Amino acid sequence: MLSRLVFVSGSALKGSGPIGAGLVHASRSLHTSSQSQAPVPALSEKGGKVRHGIIPEELFQLLYPKTGVTGPYMLGTGLLLYMLSKEIYVINHETFAAASITAVIIYGVKKFGPSVAAFADKLNEDKVAKAQEVKDLAMTSLAQAIEDEKKEQWRAEGRSMLFDAKRNNVAMLLETNYRERLHMVTNEVKRRLDYQIALQNLHRQMEQDHMVNWVEKSVISSITPQQEKESIAKCITDLKALAKATQAKAAV
Amino acid sequence: MTLSFFDQFMSPTLLGIPLIALALTLPWVLFPKPSSRWLNNRVLTLQSWFINGFAQQIFQPINQGGHKWAALLTSLMIFLITLNMLGLLPYTFTPTTQLSMNMAFAVPLWLATVIIGMRNQPTHALAHLLPEGTPTPLIPILIMIETISLFIRPLALGVRLTANLTAGHLLIQLIATAALVLLPLMPTVAILTGALLLMLTLLEVAVAMIQAYVFVLLLSLYLQENV
Repeated sequence: MLSRLVFVSGSALKGSGPIGAGLVHASRSLHTSSQSQAPVPALSEKGGKVRHGIIPEELFQLLYPKTGVTGPYMLGTGLLLYMLSKEIYVINHETFAAASITAVIIYGVKKFGPSVAAFADKLNEDKVAKAQEVKDLAMTSLAQAIEDEKKEQWRAEGRSMLFDAKRNNVAMLLETNYRERLHMVTNEVKRRLDYQIALQNLHRQMEQDHMVNWVEKSVISSITPQQEKESIAKCITDLKALAKATQAKAAV
Repeated sequence: MTLSFFDQFMSPTLLGIPLIALALTLPWVLFPKPSSRWLNNRVLTLQSWFINGFAQQIFQPINQGGHKWAALLTSLMIFLITLNMLGLLPYTFTPTTQLSMNMAFAVPLWLATVIIGMRNQPTHALAHLLPEGTPTPLIPILIMIETISLFIRPLALGVRLTANLTAGHLLIQLIATAALVLLPLMPTVAILTGALLLMLTLLEVAVAMIQAYVFVLLLSLYLQENV
């Protein structure tokens, strides 16, 4: 906050005539930072260093060369005793009230200070964690997208194999179809030829039967009754002779 | 320089120049301005957290129309709580011990809520004058009582804050005087009185915060009724 005062007062003083310029030059020895605004000055992480919670460390550094380590403490004690003894500060009821409120404040700061600071830090950390989570989620989803893309590319490479397999399929189908038709044609031709053969067979069979019938008919009609009687008498004498021979065989 | 008990309640002047304006506006420098950075230092983080949490809590039961009052009531809360807490430091002037200032906050804000209610929904606003389920013979009396209580509200708001803070400060003064006077006479009793003073200071810290909160809470309740 004090650096802000320096900025504002510096720019105000520079414009205010000879006194302003002189003051600016004189105060230049007190500057601790480079006083430029163009790259925005970085925020300090921690506040200014203090001793005993309220006295800036710079006072101790200022007095150290002349009065050593105990210098500021002597200054403080001296000032206090001076004000008390000369009754510049009068002890009255407000002193007691001041003592009690100081005690309450110191107790409060010592007891609750670290937890409040941790709470404030946690608020900031939660903010950062949320943003980090969004970023991480985005990164993982993008990495996943890269993986998926690579897989798709690998799949695309295999498409020639797919085409070959399809081509084979189609060729097989065509072949099968051709063979089926061939088979069918063969069958049809065979049927036609079988029919012709059967027809010829039938013809021959009928001719043969007819001829046999005719021959039988003619033979039967050629046999005269005379011949029929002679043949029957011969048959009977043959049979008798045979019977005799058989009986003779059987008796022996 | 001897102090009487009521010097702390006198409007501060320096060689005849009134300092009341400084007393009212200087607490503003204690609060850091919200910066455009995404992550801030601890003070600013805690301040933003408190303001956001407080506004959310106070305005949750109020419907949309009342949310216009968010900036007003939140800044009022911060103002009152700062003035009260700073007044506990020694040799300080607490503006909220002045009845004039508290009435200057209470009356206009209360009146604004009443006028808003009467203008936008007069039937609903007037209906608040008769609680539900009162037996019929009591109605006239009850309406009168409720009207009186309505008009007492700004008085109550202002006087509550003034009385609490003034009484607290006076008590601190008195008990500190007792401790101071008893110290050479009866040191043990003085130490007991000192312990009492410590307890009282703790109470006063609590009262300072609670009274500011109650002031703003009641105003938000009046707003809720009328908006």
